[in-house]
Amino acid sequence: MWFHPRRAEIDMRFLLMPIRSNKQGVQINVGKDGDEYNAIVNTVQIHPDDLKELGGTSGATIRVRTDVGEATFTLKEANVPRGLLFVPYGPPTCQLYGGDTDGTGMPTSKGWDVEVELVP
Amino acid sequence: MSCTLGEVKNRADFIIYWGGNPAECHPRHFTRYALTPKGKFIPRGRKDRTMVLVDIRETPSAKAADIFLQVRPGKDFEMLSILRALVKNQKVSASAVAETGLTLEQLTDLVSRMKAAKFGVLFFGMGLSMTRGKHMNSAAALTLAAEMNAFTKFVAMPMRGHGNVTGADVIMRYTTTYPFGINLSRGYPRFNPGEYSTIDLLVRGDTDATLVLGADPGATMPKPAIEHLRRTPTIVLDPKVTHTSRLARVHFTTAPAGISAPGTAYRMDEVPLPLRPALKPSYLTDEEVLKRIVAAVKAKPPWYPAARDGAQIA
Repeated sequence: MWFHPRRAEIDMRFLLMPIRSNKQGVQINVGKDGDEYNAIVNTVQIHPDDLKELGGTSGATIRVRTDVGEATFTLKEANVPRGLLFVPYGPPTCQLYGGDTDGTGMPTSKGWDVEVELVP
Repeated sequence: MSCTLGEVKNRADFIIYWGGNPAECHPRHFTRYALTPKGKFIPRGRKDRTMVLVDIRETPSAKAADIFLQVRPGKDFEMLSILRALVKNQKVSASAVAETGLTLEQLTDLVSRMKAAKFGVLFFGMGLSMTRGKHMNSAAALTLAAEMNAFTKFVAMPMRGHGNVTGADVIMRYTTTYPFGINLSRGYPRFNPGEYSTIDLLVRGDTDATLVLGADPGATMPKPAIEHLRRTPTIVLDPKVTHTSRLARVHFTTAPAGISAPGTAYRMDEVPLPLRPALKPSYLTDEEVLKRIVAAVKAKPPWYPAARDGAQIA
């Protein structure tokens, strides 16, 4: 039987919600090359219980994978609903979504079904 | 069914924010227009207004809300449909209500408050328009606001993001009658979202060159669209180096509007605001660069051969 080499590593599935934040808005005007902007768009907010279940801690790195691509993010515990991840839009989230717009001109920019694994 | 933010400031006593986080994304919205300012018919400011926030998570905006309704992700359309039914005193199924993550009491209370308002506003954000359902969600929100006018004055307004995206829509609308997704290749405008809209064109690979004005699709668009921008000649006009300018073949650094270039910005309620530059420009304005590109293109001989009898093709 064919075995997906990645399958064993996949820990959990989440809905990923790209969002906007105030700090991100400020940094867009400062410049998108700065460490601060990159830290903002690379930090995923997660519910504490999900974090525990994933076996990680705040500051741990995860790999997020969709049918389109993958990207790595840093985890941060936050007051968000279980099963959901929130991250400000940016170059890393661009890697995760496809161009199908369902005939509307607008791709689905929120609520992506993603696979998440902890990067050791 | 919309209005200006001035009307919101002076009249609105019931505010709903749906799928938006103005405390972070539109930080002056509360204080300048929608929540705290005193208006002609809102003499006590915040005390005369009720604010309801509908979102899938407790954002910083929830702290400013009188009522926070946490809807389940992807259940906005269902919740809007239930509200529409309740507005018309129709029966709703308990299981449908349960799916939204809210109780019938919460939804009934919301409807009775909406009906009791003198002037209600439904501001909706990307949490409604960019999730599954997209334009159908927006249509449901607009329909709810329209139907509320059988009981009281009620309007809806999208919480537009970034500087002057509304301006682009307004200008395209009054020049072509369509706001976006317009194809001018036949010499007259044709409108078809999903076919002529930017992302669809890029993802399908229909374009062989792209001109980007004051936007950074390289940091916001889906991966297949960015890859096409990288593959084909892309020209960027932007005051700054961006992810898009890096993948472009040509980047014109232009003067930022409102800082060193004059112009007009449209507020989210489509009110035009003149921009007066505070500094002298050190670069050409977008308008000047575009005019020069147009002049250079016009000066070029056409790519198609002249007609056999020597007549010029119009």
